[in-house]
Amino acid sequence: MLVIDANKCSGCRRCETHCSFYHSGKTGYHGARIKVEKIEMIGLDFPVVCHQCKEHYCTRCPQKAISVTPRGSIEVSPTLCDLCGACEKLCPVGAIEIYNDIPQVCDLCGGTPRCVIACEMNAIAYDPTLRQSVSLSSLKKKNARLTPMKKRHERALQEGKLLREAWLKKRSV
Amino acid sequence: MMLHGYGGHILRVDLSSGRIKREKSDPDYMLEVIGGRGLNSRRLYDELDREIDPLSEENLLLIGVGPVTGSLFSTSAYMTISGKSPLTGILGDSAAGGFFGPEIKYAGYDQLIFTGKADKLCYVYICDDQVEIRDASHLKGKDIFHTTAAIRKELNDNNLQIAAIGPAGENLVRYSIVACNNSRVCGRTGMGCLFGTKNLKAVVVKGTGMVSTADPLKFMKLCETIDRRIMEHPEFQDRHDMGSTLLMKALNGLGILPVNHFQKGMAPYVDKISGQTLASMYKVKNKGCYNCNINCSRYYITPEVESEGPEYETLCSFSSRIGSDNLPFALKMNHYLNRMGLDSLSTGETIGWAMECVEKGIFSKDDFDGLDFSWGNIETVEQILDLIINQQGIGAEFAKGTRYLAQTMGKGSEKYALHVKGLDVICGDPRGIKAFGLTYAIASRGADHLRAEPFFELTNRFDEAEKRFGTRDAADRLSDNGKAQLVEFTERQALLTDCLTMCKNVGLSMDVLDFELAAELLQAGTGLKFTEDVVNKSLRATITNDRLMNIDFGVTAKDDTLPHRFTHEPLTEGASKNQVVPVHDMVKDYYRIKGWDDNGVPKKP
Repeated sequence: MLVIDANKCSGCRRCETHCSFYHSGKTGYHGARIKVEKIEMIGLDFPVVCHQCKEHYCTRCPQKAISVTPRGSIEVSPTLCDLCGACEKLCPVGAIEIYNDIPQVCDLCGGTPRCVIACEMNAIAYDPTLRQSVSLSSLKKKNARLTPMKKRHERALQEGKLLREAWLKKRSV
Repeated sequence: MMLHGYGGHILRVDLSSGRIKREKSDPDYMLEVIGGRGLNSRRLYDELDREIDPLSEENLLLIGVGPVTGSLFSTSAYMTISGKSPLTGILGDSAAGGFFGPEIKYAGYDQLIFTGKADKLCYVYICDDQVEIRDASHLKGKDIFHTTAAIRKELNDNNLQIAAIGPAGENLVRYSIVACNNSRVCGRTGMGCLFGTKNLKAVVVKGTGMVSTADPLKFMKLCETIDRRIMEHPEFQDRHDMGSTLLMKALNGLGILPVNHFQKGMAPYVDKISGQTLASMYKVKNKGCYNCNINCSRYYITPEVESEGPEYETLCSFSSRIGSDNLPFALKMNHYLNRMGLDSLSTGETIGWAMECVEKGIFSKDDFDGLDFSWGNIETVEQILDLIINQQGIGAEFAKGTRYLAQTMGKGSEKYALHVKGLDVICGDPRGIKAFGLTYAIASRGADHLRAEPFFELTNRFDEAEKRFGTRDAADRLSDNGKAQLVEFTERQALLTDCLTMCKNVGLSMDVLDFELAAELLQAGTGLKFTEDVVNKSLRATITNDRLMNIDFGVTAKDDTLPHRFTHEPLTEGASKNQVVPVHDMVKDYYRIKGWDDNGVPKKP
């Protein structure tokens, strides 16, 4: 899975740019499968991407269009998918979102994730051995009614809490 | 024909009538102006009535982006705001990075044009082709951070890109700023005041589209070339660690750090206020603009405040330039100025001027409402800021800029008002960097380095100097020889970065962008027939048009000069000791190379 170090992320959104360019030849964060949530007031930048969670919530797709590849990433069948939007609702962190009639979700770029190459801050790492190691069950209920955008915001706030505690502790020294 | 690269539309919003018009961008027109500042300048040249009062509703407010803004091209993050400057009365524009520029592209625009004046405070919300003028009376007097957060809450979207003004802009302080998402600031020439005159509190953009390129593979290869040049650059690590604040120590070493309002070029206490100290004491992490691979900005936390920044100009303006060695104070000011909406350079200059006038005995406390303008008096600085922002007492005079202030208060204080054409001098003493001196003198928006940033003269690349400019002296910062050639070249290069909306630190200071590569990039990006010649022709035309426009605004050859201090008072210590700028000869040289006559008027083609 892709491992994010929010402490290193500068919020430049280079990962988004290179992700969308690789997948579509165009740039724009709506077409990216990794999305950086930026909360300027508290200095927080957090790239949200598919965690390959233990629960694999999105595979509960009513059309059975979503499966898990041997690499652990999510695959959407373009023939089975009818754009019902269930996956957007199922994912607790907003890592899958329909744009241009495609459910945009991280496919690990076939094993060479472009975001990892693009990130000059080393805030994103790819560890192929880590699979289904993160549980998102604690967020599932809390975020159930939110839009993908709001879910990413909540996710960033949750992760950012620890980060900010560390920063502020450093300040008092 | 599908127009690649470009957003494809020009948006006209008339705030008086509420009329909104969307026009298609014309490829032939774009080929002539490229984009960004070139596009804005041409629009002003074609559509701005020269005689108007810049504070009147007839003024135009333009926000322009370029054909590669928001693309794969590293650092293509900028946008330029232009209009007739409320501070200087001549051409005004200011650029900022961040994410606002790319978002304009995703919404499908190349330029936003605001005309007229709303009857009450409003903000304009642009979501792709939906444009709405919304009431902002509840945001009256609110600072920029609050405004940004409130609009996001109101529209229920944390990812909106917002360019807003603070109380200073609403109160028409002539050098107020527009800040994008709190910390990415269009600082110079008072574009925030221009927002204020139109009763425009903020421009809010959301774009759900994407930027396409005509030849994605070629475009990608060219971007990789630029990326490599950036990553392998000898300054890369320092710029990553400190950004422009690295200049505190660097300029001190060269003897050109403004100390006590440019009376000295070295600060014995520089280590207390340096970029190194900032990085080690207060920085918690790097921050970056859109698609940057340097990430030179930083998030900092001090015992009092936390914020992003500051750039060197702010750091110096609120430390050594006003005789203060207090780094946490400068960081606090960075946060406060961004929140309230003041340009740190012009604000710093008014304060520095007042402090020097008091030191010289020209004015006393009584002339300044009882404020004690002694060097480094940070209580006074905090007090005068609030008076400026609220236009109260002496602050109302300060709010009109140093030129006005000195002219009004007189008694010979004009000599110490360090400005060119009404725009305050930046934090680099030109006496030890001659090409910068020439740049301040001829820059079309006043004393500013970003019009040409001839950083080349600091790089010791003597062979390259000979090749490019015919003399090794062009790479010698203390020589005035070859500097007109250098400035003519980097002026075009600077405009090119503004048209591509690329970061100047990268394009210019690190010198990674050349005209040939830019032409290839533009061609691969847009599919239009950009060649090196077409690009250069466009850049030259924009520079000429800017000059003609400024002449219409009343600029003459007499204005292409430097304040007395830089031409007549040699520095007394440090690595630029005994230096002054022979600006008159350099300007003449520059006119000759430009093909302008002795009065600095471009000859008719």
